[in-house]
Amino acid sequence: MMRQNSSNLSDMSLDKQNTPFVYTDEQLIARFQNGDERAYIELVNRYRDRLINFVFQFLGDREQSEDVVQDTMLKLYVKKHYYREIAKFSTWLYTIARNLANTELRKRKRRKTTLLSHMTRDEKDYELPAIQPDTGAEVQSEFVEKLIQSAIQTLPEHFKTVIILRDIQELPYDDISSIVGVPLGTVKSRINRARLQLQAELKDLI
Amino acid sequence: MNRYQFEDLISEYIENELSLSKRKEFETYLEENPDALDLVESVRSNMTRMKSIHRIKASPDFNDRLLARIQTNRAQLDRPTASQRTYFGFTPIHASLMTGLVIAMVFVSMQLFAPEEGGIPSQAQHFVNETLPTLSNPSLQKVNPPQPDFVNAEEDSAMEDQKQKSQQDFSKKMHFVND
Repeated sequence: MMRQNSSNLSDMSLDKQNTPFVYTDEQLIARFQNGDERAYIELVNRYRDRLINFVFQFLGDREQSEDVVQDTMLKLYVKKHYYREIAKFSTWLYTIARNLANTELRKRKRRKTTLLSHMTRDEKDYELPAIQPDTGAEVQSEFVEKLIQSAIQTLPEHFKTVIILRDIQELPYDDISSIVGVPLGTVKSRINRARLQLQAELKDLI
Repeated sequence: MNRYQFEDLISEYIENELSLSKRKEFETYLEENPDALDLVESVRSNMTRMKSIHRIKASPDFNDRLLARIQTNRAQLDRPTASQRTYFGFTPIHASLMTGLVIAMVFVSMQLFAPEEGGIPSQAQHFVNETLPTLSNPSLQKVNPPQPDFVNAEEDSAMEDQKQKSQQDFSKKMHFVND
């Protein structure tokens, strides 16, 4: 019954209707706030991949990223009336996802600290597996991607978020400013500094 | 333009956000400093690499799992929690407070108005007995001695005078020895 209901809702998505009119995100959330669940499905379809990629840059784990995005979408469903059209819908949703990703990171840090504190001295001497470049082009590009991702992980938190939003998610500066809650000038400056720091990290590797 | 000013403007230069004059100044600096040009090219290529990072797609059952979670969540939301349950329209806290208040009022009223029927006198009766002054209670009379009656005082004194006069008129009472 529930499965059937779920698939019905998936099929009801507004993007499956052959209409030339395309709803904006703000129109969709307004419809959802008025009880139209098809609008919710449409929003989920629009943002799930983008958000998974965004969260993945923080967590580096696909399954966990998907879980965080599920939580984000669930929050969107439960707290739909909290959205007011004073901000763009995308910035609101990205903010929720970012906060949940940060919470997950904090949990992970606590777990890691606990695990390390329980280890014996010998157990603490471990080695990270080295990533070796292969000859194939696809493998090579995968290797470069991993290097970039690990270089992003070395950035301070306030640099990491803005560079992911700008250079991977390709969001406009205004939106980034709203998501991280700092002035536009600060965002531009942070992005520039993050790019320079990333270049310094990668110059010997790529 | 110095090195710091150059580094601050790299992103704006790459994204074509510099004014014409600033752009010319920046390009002059690049021509004079080949290492600066290398840095700009390196940042530019990193930006391109980041844009072309492989995009992950959500798993095919993402929506189904999400909607199943929503159904579960909805069921939980529909079920009233302990704090949402009501008794005769009162929340549990208010209901218990009201019950306590009613019991207290009944107890107090029973103590105040219950008739004393030969048995143990009520506390209220004790209170009345102890505090109300009675004429038969000499200790309380000491506390509140009777005030003099100034209205009848004059009459009393006139009678007193007459009594004294009658006592002083010894003519009728006197008998001479020879009589």
